[in-house]
Amino acid sequence: MVYIFTALYCEAHIFIRQFNLVKNQECTWYQEFYNETAGIRLVITGVGEIAAAAVVSSVCSIYRPTPNDQLFNIGICAHTTKNEGIFLCNKIIEKTTNKTFYPDMLYRHPFNEGTIVTGMLPWITDHDNTQITEPSSTDKLYDMEAAAIYQAGIHFFDPHQMIFLKIVSDRGVLEDVSKEQTSLLMEKYQQSIFDHIELLSTISLKSRNDKYHLCKENEQLIETFCADLHCTKAMKDSMRQIIQYLTLSGIDYISIIQNMYEQKLLPCKDKKEGKQRFEEFKRKFL
Amino acid sequence: MKNLKENFYENYFNPFFSHIYVERSVRNHVRTQAILAKFPSAKVIEINHYKDVFCRSRQSCQLQHRTQKLILAARQGTLLYEGAPVCQSFDNPYFYYTSCVMNCIFDCEYCYLKGMYPSANIVVFVNLEDIFAEVAQKLENHSLYLCVSYDTDLLAMEPITGYVREWHDFAARHENLKIEIRTKCANKTFFQGIAPLSRIIYAFTLSPQAVIEAFEHHTPSLTERLSCAAELTQKGCMVRLCFDPMIYIPDWKQHYQEMLEQVFSSINMKKIVDVSVGTFRISQDYLKNMRKREPESAVIWFPFQKENGYCHYPDDLMEQMESFLIEELEQKISREKIFRWRT
Repeated sequence: MVYIFTALYCEAHIFIRQFNLVKNQECTWYQEFYNETAGIRLVITGVGEIAAAAVVSSVCSIYRPTPNDQLFNIGICAHTTKNEGIFLCNKIIEKTTNKTFYPDMLYRHPFNEGTIVTGMLPWITDHDNTQITEPSSTDKLYDMEAAAIYQAGIHFFDPHQMIFLKIVSDRGVLEDVSKEQTSLLMEKYQQSIFDHIELLSTISLKSRNDKYHLCKENEQLIETFCADLHCTKAMKDSMRQIIQYLTLSGIDYISIIQNMYEQKLLPCKDKKEGKQRFEEFKRKFL
Repeated sequence: MKNLKENFYENYFNPFFSHIYVERSVRNHVRTQAILAKFPSAKVIEINHYKDVFCRSRQSCQLQHRTQKLILAARQGTLLYEGAPVCQSFDNPYFYYTSCVMNCIFDCEYCYLKGMYPSANIVVFVNLEDIFAEVAQKLENHSLYLCVSYDTDLLAMEPITGYVREWHDFAARHENLKIEIRTKCANKTFFQGIAPLSRIIYAFTLSPQAVIEAFEHHTPSLTERLSCAAELTQKGCMVRLCFDPMIYIPDWKQHYQEMLEQVFSSINMKKIVDVSVGTFRISQDYLKNMRKREPESAVIWFPFQKENGYCHYPDDLMEQMESFLIEELEQKISREKIFRWRT
């Protein structure tokens, strides 16, 4: 599942249209849209750090993201020197606390990269005009949600699962940003954004571990085997660990277990016999 | 965009060291500048402290190993450590180790670094001069046996850092300093510009090719390691062979037998300083971390025996493996030169 968080509806519109997202009518505290088949859940957080953190926490508490899921924060931002462009954030600074966060930069992408500063108020050049004279090496993006989304998201996602994509709308002049202009900007970059989402979804699917899942499939067999051995809790834990090792090593332990049943060695009559069979089983492999 | 996307599917990870994090305090350090110059395309991200990046919670070491990043920092606090009980001192009285680099470009599934560090990214401490100063201070009181390549493979990092050469030059100036550089590397070109020094021991970790292929990802083959070690012995360098850790695999005896045959046919054992033998063992806490991070690695899911906070192969298997190797080695090298790990 890809979780997309935007602050505004005009930032979300391209995703709703592209992925045929349906509004979750049961959700009245914030606007949520989803398409289970496409694996997309989009939530509009509202503007500002507190709103963003509260909504991310709420959504993640309800849906419990897995290690294969992704969090995308996408939206508009200001830039100290540029009027346009799309940026992937490799460093996020919370202006109030000066705390800094670093999403992992694992995958190739077609975007520029940059540092984003998240503030409680919009960044306006008139209020902070020293920034604009800084050299380009200290170019920064400014928004009002990224740091909060990272801090709330890190309770549910790993650093490599969180992606922060920002589209420059202005250079700190609030009057320059209208809903219509925001929608147009999102549309301008939509194809590269969709492609990146699709790519990361594919990576997530590819990176699932088949061997590990195979182990899960054998849970029932292990349960029965342990029950027939009259395993204690400690023996059962030990058995799970051995089965994990045997599975990963590609050793055919299932036929050994079946053979034990065929030889009427299982089920055992009591714990004492079970312990003996357990040791015999271990000795066959190690 | 379409073509670019197709390429992504082929190789979607960023290249190694695509991003270099640099502590603000060492931004202008000469070694920082030298390293950055080797990666002109890398994105440089300024940081306050290396732990801000290296010690983040919930990092995926497995994924990071596919696209490691470099972190350039200043080492502060303790610079020298006394040798750990699981490490061999080779009968040297003042056994210390130091970490001028943390983490390794090789990706060995059983490596304790995977349990010790929260990240697979590589930290290079550029203030080597501070470590040199502390070593020099210790040397005023007594001699030192110093391992400089425990928490990394320093020789594998040589094209990036140049630290082996720096340690070589430092050791050349301090007669009571003996250094061990442990490696799985086979970087012959480095040694072309190095004069042999009797107080620097190049310790090659050797494993059967089957173990290398299964668990020691991106490392040179056994043949390459032996070729490099052989060339060093011919050059007059001090070479140690480390059959440590020995890794259990089905048919281990046959694999280790074949490895030894290759070793004996490639290297004049009379020219070897010594050898070390020890089966895999690891701190219980590190193993717990490793199993959590690498749920699909067979080598670390072996049902180990726990003892005093450490995990090792069951006593009888450990005895069989180590005794076998020692008996075979004794046919080619005197018993005094064989160091077997024991707590």
